[in-house]
Amino acid sequence: MGSAEALGKDAAAHQKLKMLRERLESDIVTADADIVARYSTDWHGDVTSSALAVLRPRATEEVAQAVRACAELGIGIVPQGGRTGLALGAIPDAPETQVVLSLERMNRIRSLDPADFTAVVEAGMVLEAFKEEVAAQGLFFPLALGAQGSCQLGGNVSTNAGGVNVLRYGMTRELVLGLEVVLPDGRVLDGLSRLRKDNRGLDLKQLFIGAEGTLGIVTAVSVKLMPAPEKVATALLALDSLEDVIELYRRARQQCCDLMSAFEFMPPLAFALAKEGIPDLALPLEPGHEAYALVEISGSGFVDTDVLMERFLELSMGDGLVRDGVVAQSQAQARSIWLVREGMNEGQARRGKHLRTDLSVPLSRLADFVTEAENSIADSLPGAICVSYGHVGDGNVHLNVLPVPDATEPVDDQICRAKAVLNEVLDRYDGSISAEHGLGRLKAMDFGARVPAVQRDLLEAIKRAIDPNLTMNPRCQIVLN
Amino acid sequence: MKVLVPVKRVIDYNVKARVKADGSGVDLANVKMSMNPFDEIAVEEAIRLKEKGAVEEIVVVSIGVKQAQETLRTALAMGADRAILVVAADDVHTDIEPLAVAKILAKVVEEEAPKMVILGKQAIDNDMNATGQMLAALLGWGQATFASEVVVEGEAAKVTREVDGGLQTIEVKLPAIVTTDLRLNEPRYASLPNIMKAKKKPLEEKTADDYGVDVTPRLSVVKTEEPQGRSAGIKVGSVDELVAKLKEAGVV
Repeated sequence: MGSAEALGKDAAAHQKLKMLRERLESDIVTADADIVARYSTDWHGDVTSSALAVLRPRATEEVAQAVRACAELGIGIVPQGGRTGLALGAIPDAPETQVVLSLERMNRIRSLDPADFTAVVEAGMVLEAFKEEVAAQGLFFPLALGAQGSCQLGGNVSTNAGGVNVLRYGMTRELVLGLEVVLPDGRVLDGLSRLRKDNRGLDLKQLFIGAEGTLGIVTAVSVKLMPAPEKVATALLALDSLEDVIELYRRARQQCCDLMSAFEFMPPLAFALAKEGIPDLALPLEPGHEAYALVEISGSGFVDTDVLMERFLELSMGDGLVRDGVVAQSQAQARSIWLVREGMNEGQARRGKHLRTDLSVPLSRLADFVTEAENSIADSLPGAICVSYGHVGDGNVHLNVLPVPDATEPVDDQICRAKAVLNEVLDRYDGSISAEHGLGRLKAMDFGARVPAVQRDLLEAIKRAIDPNLTMNPRCQIVLN
Repeated sequence: MKVLVPVKRVIDYNVKARVKADGSGVDLANVKMSMNPFDEIAVEEAIRLKEKGAVEEIVVVSIGVKQAQETLRTALAMGADRAILVVAADDVHTDIEPLAVAKILAKVVEEEAPKMVILGKQAIDNDMNATGQMLAALLGWGQATFASEVVVEGEAAKVTREVDGGLQTIEVKLPAIVTTDLRLNEPRYASLPNIMKAKKKPLEEKTADDYGVDVTPRLSVVKTEEPQGRSAGIKVGSVDELVAKLKEAGVV
């Protein structure tokens, strides 16, 4: 780009910003370089971008005003929550023509009704803060994921977040009763229903769940609450292979009376990575096994989850399926067991840029898939390290690849090659390239290359019907011109 | 030698305690209960002494409601050899006071003749910090409280204590009482094979009457209240305003 052209573009951007400021209250718009930089990158920092400005409205009406102003000026909007995403869905990709719209100032609980087991909460509330407020009422919001201390409910809804409790309670979609959404033309879709059964035609909220802000901006959500599980039994188990872990899961489904709330698997490297992530973590088990499973059973009322867990494990210990294990004797020990799982992510992050994936295959093919995928990576990228872990019950594996250190091939190229290899294997297993993270901008092209024509036509028709000017989170999920 | 480790079943320390509506105490109905963390440290220390060859047998004892046998099973799963449950209450809300506990423990010591009693310095529910000291007085034994290191050397134990000014190392003749402080060790997890084995380890059940000890409370709870929440802060616009506010509050 010649300098005259750059100057011209700067001037155009400057003009747009000026007009935006004229239309909105001054404390909503900021173009301060430091602040904009903060809102233009994710927690992992793999990509840094920029934006025309950051908009931080405090109420639904202010979101609507901002959306109307952007629509008039032809400015693209990137809606944003806690920036804990893993698919670049909330990071701008055209700094001169896009603003970030952060929901963080809309962080109140509007209502919490223990008799209905529902709450209405604004999109910018941090998940953990919400869970704490709910817990204070003796209730429980089951969505649980590593990022819960930072991620926000609007982001959870927009990505249809999964996490560790999906097995028992389902994805975010299954926890949502209603939504309030600001549409691309600035109208507000007020659908904050608290009804659990409602068959009045098409269920429009489903369009916006998992849409990653491409059809509008979720400003508030009505959610289901559950009774708080008073009793939780947590175990960390060592097994000989992923096949054995899946067999254990099959037994757990039958023997634990549907009270199982989490069943995670981890690779041999889990403990080493957890130690790198959390150096003073005391490991609950001796390392050196081929596979680990983290099992949690929870309930309330007159169930004894400890007895259930012990009986279940007694059988599988007896015939040698489970090699070793620990059962938490206190909540502190349960917490430490979970820290192994969470520390693993931290440990991977500390090893630098790597390929993060979020794949799902039918459960019956999970073990074969992981074996074949890891072998293919070993063939094409000798020396790279595969870290496969995830939510067994959901057939969801995070098969991450840590690039070969100090190789002549740049890390980005290695990551690109590893992804192509994995996707090729995944396609043969009828799997999904995005089980729970969303497509964002990271996987939009890969998705576009795979999606069947009829499905693509429908997706495009819906997008164009609701967002004809393509200003809502452009090039996220689907790339249109 | 034989070691006796008394353990108490208390509200799990990660549980947010709630006061009963009538203010008579903390609500323990349907609340996660675990071994008192200081007692867990005591069990761990006894196991470590056994692993070093200084101890042959570890007997754990708990006094309270019948459900305390779960706590004893945990201790057995960690590595204790056998357990004694002294049922002294029907209701989980009845706290057996330190003196009654110490009297029962003195009788158990008489029967079991251990060379050392290791127990937590206090229970996290009532924070009395009294049972170990009372037991030492009743038995006429030496006591080494707030231990952060325990070394058995022949007929004596060298114990490092956490005192206000720092660390103090003392030597006590055996038999003796040792109470544990937080930094003595980090307790192990109960492994699955050991949990299974623990089910077969002996657990003897007794009652307070068996020992002829009256456990009727001598203290009465007048009132239980939740701590006051912190009141909201204010923002001041300038240093002068800050100083004025601090003066107003009488702190400068």
